[in-house]
Amino acid sequence: MELNKLCELNGAPGDEGAVRNAIMAAASKVCDDVRIDKAGNVIAFKKGVKKSGRKHIILNAHMDEVAFISVGATEDGMIRIQPVGGIDPRVCVSKHVTVGEEKVKGVIGAMAIHLQSAADRQRVLDFDNLYVDIGAQSKDEALGAAPEGTYIYFDSKYEKFGDGCVVSKALDDRVGCYVMLKLLQESTQNDVTYAFVVKEEIGCRGARAAAFNTKADAVLVLEGTTAGDMGNVPEVSQVCRLGKGVAVSFMDNGSIVTRKLYKSVIDIAEKNGCHYQIKEAATGGNDASAYQATADAKATCVLSVPCRYIHGPSSVVKLSDVEDQLTLARHVVNSL
Amino acid sequence: MNIEEFLREAAGKPGVTGMELPAAEFIADAFRPYVDEVHITPLASVVARRKGKGPKVMLSAHLDEIGMMVSKIEEDGCLRMQSVGGVDPRVLPGMRVRVYGKKLLMGVVGATPPHLLSAKDRQSNYNFQDTLFVDLGMPAEKVRKVVSVGDKVCFENRFTELKNGRISMKTADDRACVAIMLKAAELLKDMKCDADVYFVASCQEEIGCIGAWTTGYEVDPDYAVVLDVCHAHTPGASPARTHEITDLVATKGPFIHPFLRKKLDEVAKEQNIKIQKAIATRGTGTDTDRLSIVRGGVPCVLLELPLKYMHTNVETFDMHALTEGARLLAHYLRAIDDTWEEQLWN
Repeated sequence: MELNKLCELNGAPGDEGAVRNAIMAAASKVCDDVRIDKAGNVIAFKKGVKKSGRKHIILNAHMDEVAFISVGATEDGMIRIQPVGGIDPRVCVSKHVTVGEEKVKGVIGAMAIHLQSAADRQRVLDFDNLYVDIGAQSKDEALGAAPEGTYIYFDSKYEKFGDGCVVSKALDDRVGCYVMLKLLQESTQNDVTYAFVVKEEIGCRGARAAAFNTKADAVLVLEGTTAGDMGNVPEVSQVCRLGKGVAVSFMDNGSIVTRKLYKSVIDIAEKNGCHYQIKEAATGGNDASAYQATADAKATCVLSVPCRYIHGPSSVVKLSDVEDQLTLARHVVNSL
Repeated sequence: MNIEEFLREAAGKPGVTGMELPAAEFIADAFRPYVDEVHITPLASVVARRKGKGPKVMLSAHLDEIGMMVSKIEEDGCLRMQSVGGVDPRVLPGMRVRVYGKKLLMGVVGATPPHLLSAKDRQSNYNFQDTLFVDLGMPAEKVRKVVSVGDKVCFENRFTELKNGRISMKTADDRACVAIMLKAAELLKDMKCDADVYFVASCQEEIGCIGAWTTGYEVDPDYAVVLDVCHAHTPGASPARTHEITDLVATKGPFIHPFLRKKLDEVAKEQNIKIQKAIATRGTGTDTDRLSIVRGGVPCVLLELPLKYMHTNVETFDMHALTEGARLLAHYLRAIDDTWEEQLWN
């Protein structure tokens, strides 16, 4: 399944159905053992081809993306929203959205610059002051289209631009889903469980269930992570850079990468001439924390695609980095 | 003429103030079927004349749009920009803009990541000076081959139909009013109208009504009708400064000629068109302010289309108000005759 199709699907935490169905359909074609667990994760297992000494590796990517949920409406028909997952309210003003399963078109408008006081211009509009306008003329009409609890998504096209870059919503973490679906089509030396999990963005909840249910020798978490390499940011603060290959983490805000596994991954990358970079700061958190802290406390390592403007309508990755993530993940599941 | 199609296409023509020619050429072509002669002035206003034996009337709706200019190309290839007209920087992060270099490029507006901002800066909006930039997805050496300082940058161009006939688009300010003029020109085809009508899509309104000023001098009209947008109700805004989105607005005040204004009410009543009232004690912030003092003075009246989220890429209006505006304008022009001159100060 192509990356653009995956990104254009909507899948907020708790509303991953469309992504889950697409992944189930794609995975079922190439793998006999695919199931949906109680948490809503898609779990696919593929036995390795190595005759003996096979290890069991979990590859993990999350299906969900940051989005909004409706929490009510004003008398004049504006829909009130809250984020589901971490969204900077400053990227929301003047953005297009779709509301609910019917994908009703809306915009997040804000008071015109002419009407703002000097203080208004400085003040960040928080989610108590951001509204979705679908053109509704009354509270009833707004609630009819978006009853409380309706998911609302950035309406954002996947577009290629520049030097092999793409811009889209949901690149975090459809890039990981894309890479896993690619690998699933191949045969590997080791046994691999492909865990496409739910609800990463609100606390790695899907991965916790997957971790509990599956024993493994190692877990590779495939992610998208913040790249701060644009806008004249000092080198020391860039974290990772587009076009410099898949970013290997030594730690982040959720977990410290299991040292032995980390060294093996770097060795494998070096031995095979993989294009990679070390993620230079311990920012963000991801599903690795769930695998480390659940059941048999698995060894984890995180391979990320550098992603600018993450958690917004227009996040940017370089496609070569996605291919580099695929290449390194392939080498690890074959050589560990 | 399909208004929606016109607006969709018109919004896609770049017309950042001072660089309006592509928008002007498109609008000039759109008027040709409905008028006797069309020309574009040296500054890029469009003048479309429907000849008549009666009083000379100039209509003015501006064709320029707010936007940005490239002010610097940074070492990492990102572009710094400055605003042309009043761009609200809050709308930019995550917007996909069009950069008009030697080639047309799509760029993403990025901002300094939150983890690099001080706690205080995280509590304030991004700004043009040091936190916002355009990412073209290319290194500086490639960017420099295509983009130069001074190139124009236009807002993301999307056209969205909301519920209840609301349209959300870029540059409804003021091409929605150009559409009102165009539709009125079409309606006049089948109407008797003595006035000598000049439909002017004026340039450079956003930086001081320069198009209306200069074109007003050229046309030398007896009367003028200015069409622009005003603010519709928006959360957070004072209701005293905003209007219902559903109906047109007409201002009263010292810059508006009282007789022309009274006639507007009469025609609206006769045609059963609802007009909301507004007042402007001094300037109206529209072409009226300049046009009314061109040459020996031009009696002006101002008709406004309420717009939510003005000066953003999601400017939102009610299509019903727009079409009613065209109907009102056509009937107003029809009503103008030689008797108006002696009634002006009666």
